[in-house]
Amino acid sequence: MKGTIGRIRRTGAALAVATLVAVTGCSLNEGGGESTGGSGGSDEQAGGATLRIGTTTDMENFNPLQSLSKTDSWILNATYPTLLRIDGNAQKVPELAEEYTTEADGTVVVFHLRDDFEWSDGTPVTAKDVAFTAQAIMDHQLGNVAAKLTWVTGIEVRDDHTVAFTLSEPYAPFAEGVGFWMRIVPEHIFSKAGDVSQFANDSDWVGAGAYILESATKGQRYVLKANENYPYAPEGGPAVETVEYVVYPDVNTMILALRNGDIDLMGTPVPVSAVASLESDENIAIETVGSLGFAHLTYNVQHPVLADQTVRQALSMVVDTESIIETILQGDGERMVGPISPIFADYDNSDLEPYPFDPAGARALLEGAGYTDGDGDGILDDLTFEMVCDQSNANLTRVAEVVRDDAAEAGIQIDLACIERNTFLARTRGGEYDIDLSQWGVFDNPMDQLRSTYLSSNPGGINYNLVADPELDALVNDAAVTADPEQFVEKIKGIDAYVHDQALLTPLYVENFRFAYRGDRFTGFDPSPSDLLGMVTGYSLAQVTPVD
Amino acid sequence: MLRYAASRLFRAILTIWIAVTVTFFLLRLLPADPTLLVVEGDMTPEMQEALRSQYGLDKPILQQYVLYLGQLVQGNLGVSFRQLVPVSDLLLSRLPWTLLLAGSAFVLTLLIGIPLGVQAAVGRGGLVDRAVQFFGITANALFIPSVAILLLVVFGSNLGWFPIGQAIDPDTRGLAAYASLLHHLALPLFSLVLVQLGPYALTLRTNMVEVLGEDYITSARSRGLTHRRVVWRHALRNAVLPALMLMGLQLGTLIGGAVLTETVFAYPGVGRLIFESVQQLDFPVLQGAFVILAVTVVLANLLTDLLSMALNPRIRT
Repeated sequence: MKGTIGRIRRTGAALAVATLVAVTGCSLNEGGGESTGGSGGSDEQAGGATLRIGTTTDMENFNPLQSLSKTDSWILNATYPTLLRIDGNAQKVPELAEEYTTEADGTVVVFHLRDDFEWSDGTPVTAKDVAFTAQAIMDHQLGNVAAKLTWVTGIEVRDDHTVAFTLSEPYAPFAEGVGFWMRIVPEHIFSKAGDVSQFANDSDWVGAGAYILESATKGQRYVLKANENYPYAPEGGPAVETVEYVVYPDVNTMILALRNGDIDLMGTPVPVSAVASLESDENIAIETVGSLGFAHLTYNVQHPVLADQTVRQALSMVVDTESIIETILQGDGERMVGPISPIFADYDNSDLEPYPFDPAGARALLEGAGYTDGDGDGILDDLTFEMVCDQSNANLTRVAEVVRDDAAEAGIQIDLACIERNTFLARTRGGEYDIDLSQWGVFDNPMDQLRSTYLSSNPGGINYNLVADPELDALVNDAAVTADPEQFVEKIKGIDAYVHDQALLTPLYVENFRFAYRGDRFTGFDPSPSDLLGMVTGYSLAQVTPVD
Repeated sequence: MLRYAASRLFRAILTIWIAVTVTFFLLRLLPADPTLLVVEGDMTPEMQEALRSQYGLDKPILQQYVLYLGQLVQGNLGVSFRQLVPVSDLLLSRLPWTLLLAGSAFVLTLLIGIPLGVQAAVGRGGLVDRAVQFFGITANALFIPSVAILLLVVFGSNLGWFPIGQAIDPDTRGLAAYASLLHHLALPLFSLVLVQLGPYALTLRTNMVEVLGEDYITSARSRGLTHRRVVWRHALRNAVLPALMLMGLQLGTLIGGAVLTETVFAYPGVGRLIFESVQQLDFPVLQGAFVILAVTVVLANLLTDLLSMALNPRIRT
């Protein structure tokens, strides 16, 4: 047994070295980890700048017909073109389609495509690609775009640059919804894949957007190369040749990486708590971007007490939105009234009267409606509600506390259930709450929003009010088939006022997002509202130039 | 001796089966539904049903379990819900990084911990001893993510000595790639070792102190053996046994620590894959990762058992 310890030690050391070498050997060859596209290779391009963007998670799905996670969309939206894009003012503007027209009282929608978009393998982008994409989504009911195509009864390719959708009935925002959400894929690649719903599309990407995915190293980085033919790049092509997404699951680490210069832009918005410290860093610039969603309290009207309009109105009077925006968002948000965000300037509703913040008045209103405090505990009988919220949203968990405390003054008891995100989603989907405190992500137009959130048929599964109001149904359905733009706007504003009066929800704020980047290295981003688009749309990245 | 080894092996397999079963049912007991996370915003009930059946979640839970075990026995870990690729591919691309990180932390802890523990025991009350006792106790109370962020702020951001996040600069080749690898490894490795080392050295010290008081040590000394020989040959062999067992057990903690370490340091290992998959409720990936981890821990314990058998004649029968 002499020397056993020595033997163990030596074996241990040898094992350690062997592991190290084996591991590095295989990872340096990038065996299995990296899949690359056809062209280029990873050699440094002469002259072109590289922009590194921090993302929070790996790509889940490379199939643009399916994938819907926000971080996947950043990369896929740059690679695959859409018909329309959303500009900085939340307006739909041309991208692949230079315009769209309607025929036959709005039941036929025609997209007219530009003739200078080209797939990265040299094939031109044509109307056939658009028709193929829409048909594949409808056949397999893929992603949220399938819901946008609900009305389509026929697709006609009129020529290489004209494609017409026939609808079962006119639907005013059809072109905007499909135009913005549907990523067009190359027919000559995807049609060979067989069942497109099972197509992984995880190598050799062929795109036509501003930046095309070239290589993916799971767990580490995703490299995109500039598309020299992208028509919306400035004269002489995009200045940023290479875009690299680098994965940082922890946002604090990502902030350090930005300060350190390991990345140039955070794809994720900066948390409110970190804004001040980043602002003080002279190398870092911060861009403020609006939102296409908003935070809200939504009342479950299946609850017998919340079914009472007076109770909902009283609840709206205990929410101090102004001070919530001032203290919790540190001023970085916009107030809103009614269900339609002020970002949609066409549907201006500034004539709606907001519910005043007035807990005493709320109590008087409730007592006037017959609610009494029988046991003298300060809380009106029956007015005890459970409010659910997503624990991972730091702003909303603080809002929850403020609202609870103010509600108590009005004699309303709110019990908080700020819970883990996945559990929260399951509960909201299952209707297991009295009040839902949450934030809508992206509504690209008010009509889609009103349909999804208020129709009793619940076509989008997000009628969190669980409201089934025939009058509201009729209003929404009537607006949806209105082809005349002016009448359409009036009808939307009518629904806005109706929902506001019903107090189905109490809107809290439209949050501004802050994006931080290395202002000492890059400039010229052209951001769009929301954290889905933000700084990282292909269009925005193509405008960026390095700082000398 | 063969019987001893066989019974250990049987226990190992039993442990893995239990781990697999518990993981399987725990995930399905979660109140959340993986299909809800796939689509943000609008999702029709038909789409949700289609996803449930694609994931196999529409079948009765016992049937799902039997199907899963059947697959597992054939070495098939299933296909990821979210990424549509085989779970084994995902794990294989991540496992080397975790092995590198946890493995080198394990070895480094032993290499530093053993001499440190011995020195503390031999020089009781001395500087090393007091340091080991102090750090042994404080390190137990350290929370890995806090340590990690602290290291990142000081050595990554303020001093700029180390890169922040990632495991390697993918553009480097040859020797430069190895250098880049070590450069990226340093901080996560340091934080893991920092947390492990104290408790390990402390345990070894305690055992050593006990063993040094035994009669046979006194007798060895009285036979005129050198101090060095008594300590390193006679005492350490007995003191290291329980410490070795401890290390085997702590491997679980080490890998658990790797989940947090890899997440904070953005290190592309299995730990971070687990973190991401929990958020996405990707059951097949989680099950696969836990199978691999269970197998690793069980194997390590099996090895320590066999190793102690080699070191300790009393177990050999």
